[in-house]
Amino acid sequence: MAKPKVAFFDFACCEGCQLQVANMGEMLLDVLGAIDVVEFREVMSEIGPDKIDVAIVEGSITDHHAVERIKKIRERASILIAYGACACIGGVNGMKNNFKLDDIRKEVYGKDYKYFDSVETRAVHQVVKVDYKVNGCPVYIPEFVKVLKAALAGLPYEVPDYSVCVECKLNENVCMYDRGLTCLGPVTKAGCNSWCINNNNICYGCRGMVSNPNENGAKDVIAKYNIPMDLVVNKMNMYNKCREIDQREQPKKKH
Amino acid sequence: MQYVTLKKERFDDFISRLAQDKKVVAPVAQDNNAYAFEPVTSGRQIAKDYIPTILPPKKYFMPQYETLATFNIGNGQQMEPVVEYERMILFGVRTCDLAGIQCLNMVFSERPKDHNYLVRKSKIIIIGYECNDYCDEYASCRLVHNHTPNGGYDLFFTDLGDKFIVHINTQAGDEIIEKTKLFEEANEKDLKALEALREKKRKIFANEVPVVHENIPQVFEKSYNSNIWEDLGKKCLSCGNCTNVCPTCYCFDVIDEPNLDLKTGKRYRRWDSCQSETFAKVAGGESFREERAARQRHRYYRKFKYPVDKFARLFCTGCGRCSRTCMAKINLKETVTALVAEQGLTDKKAGKE
Repeated sequence: MAKPKVAFFDFACCEGCQLQVANMGEMLLDVLGAIDVVEFREVMSEIGPDKIDVAIVEGSITDHHAVERIKKIRERASILIAYGACACIGGVNGMKNNFKLDDIRKEVYGKDYKYFDSVETRAVHQVVKVDYKVNGCPVYIPEFVKVLKAALAGLPYEVPDYSVCVECKLNENVCMYDRGLTCLGPVTKAGCNSWCINNNNICYGCRGMVSNPNENGAKDVIAKYNIPMDLVVNKMNMYNKCREIDQREQPKKKH
Repeated sequence: MQYVTLKKERFDDFISRLAQDKKVVAPVAQDNNAYAFEPVTSGRQIAKDYIPTILPPKKYFMPQYETLATFNIGNGQQMEPVVEYERMILFGVRTCDLAGIQCLNMVFSERPKDHNYLVRKSKIIIIGYECNDYCDEYASCRLVHNHTPNGGYDLFFTDLGDKFIVHINTQAGDEIIEKTKLFEEANEKDLKALEALREKKRKIFANEVPVVHENIPQVFEKSYNSNIWEDLGKKCLSCGNCTNVCPTCYCFDVIDEPNLDLKTGKRYRRWDSCQSETFAKVAGGESFREERAARQRHRYYRKFKYPVDKFARLFCTGCGRCSRTCMAKINLKETVTALVAEQGLTDKKAGKE
């Protein structure tokens, strides 16, 4: 049986998540044993065939050109994997949506801004259908391998819909709140094995928020620890601004 | 010879000698007054006064992730059971955590027996350690009668100032005493000192919740529809900390994961939590405990009601971990006190000498 044809693509991003693939070490050989990489701009010059089995897409969609390009990729690919925070939840590019589009364009491109196209930042699933998500900034390689295996086997992969605290406790870390730090672990989806906290950093919320956070309860906790609300909102919006598009376009049924 | 003593200056030697033979794990200080069971090779690494560790010793009896089987679907469906274990000595297990291990033993010994657990358990030697005073304000060990030892150990250490008095409870414990050759037989004075300490503890450990111990099940029998659960539900962030740190929460999820060849793979279990929304969700998206209030109530009933019916034993060990770890400050002592008051069963003299 021929190995599945896999292609990597990037949109607005730092390409750091793709670099994580190259950083895999020995596991990379196992991965390459299971797939046939046909297109991957960061590491090869070849362009893949019209039909590919799996498209792995990094980056968020930020202009009309990107909208057209992602639609074409979707048509070419049987399976589309959103890869990294920018692709899965809009990521840091979503901060653009804090401002009026023209103000942002003027700021970046100066007086000729009208010649430079730009649209509201969107996560990939907010433009085309996404089959799998590998969250994170950058992606957590063990999770990427899990998702890849699920995709190749035709099995679903459920991104854990409980907080990072769960994995953090399993790793027996000292809680960042006990250390006097504001960590987004309690409202952020797990799946990263609390990677940052294991390495003495706080959680920045790069995996997106759990689907049903207790917002009032969280506000109480924030007040108890004397944390200013706008600090928390800014921290959340650093990665999660595009969440507002989901809320706007797919209103939740309950809660 | 049931009791022996160990001079404190020999303690370091004792741990070193144990560690020559087997892996020894004991409470080690982390930052911010937190402690964790970790491998040690000398007594100096072990924390002196420690509050209950972040995770209870259950992590050695049912690890966070544990492989149960390997499979190969390359040629039919082959499955090989896997039993992972490690020989070790657990040192410094407080009486609350001894009770926790006893509870897990009951659960996993039920038929069908959990061989992975039972094999693992049979390879672990437990050395208990007495609390002469409260660890902190979260503990409620007197309420559940776990402030003094009730078995569940091979050896049990009590600090008598310049020496430890050690109770030998099993043959495995006796072998350690024989092998390390550091212990002396306890004399009349040592035994008197132990008795005096236990007497003093009766005054120190006062009932943390004003209720007669025997009335606890009655409180929970009547509290199912209490509004107190709604209050907890409003506070709870569903982070699952309370269940992960609980010495008697044993729920797990089983996951099959293929290798990259998509033919071979393994089946493993991972701690799960009734506090997470997905826990009671079934096919079709229906959830049996959709509201946080119902999930919190379930947790309390799993400590104070259901195991009483099934095993005639409270599954709260009084360690205080759930309250200590809760960011939303859901406090077990406060919750039970409120439930007791609601049922008119408050008794300020209960459990006081």
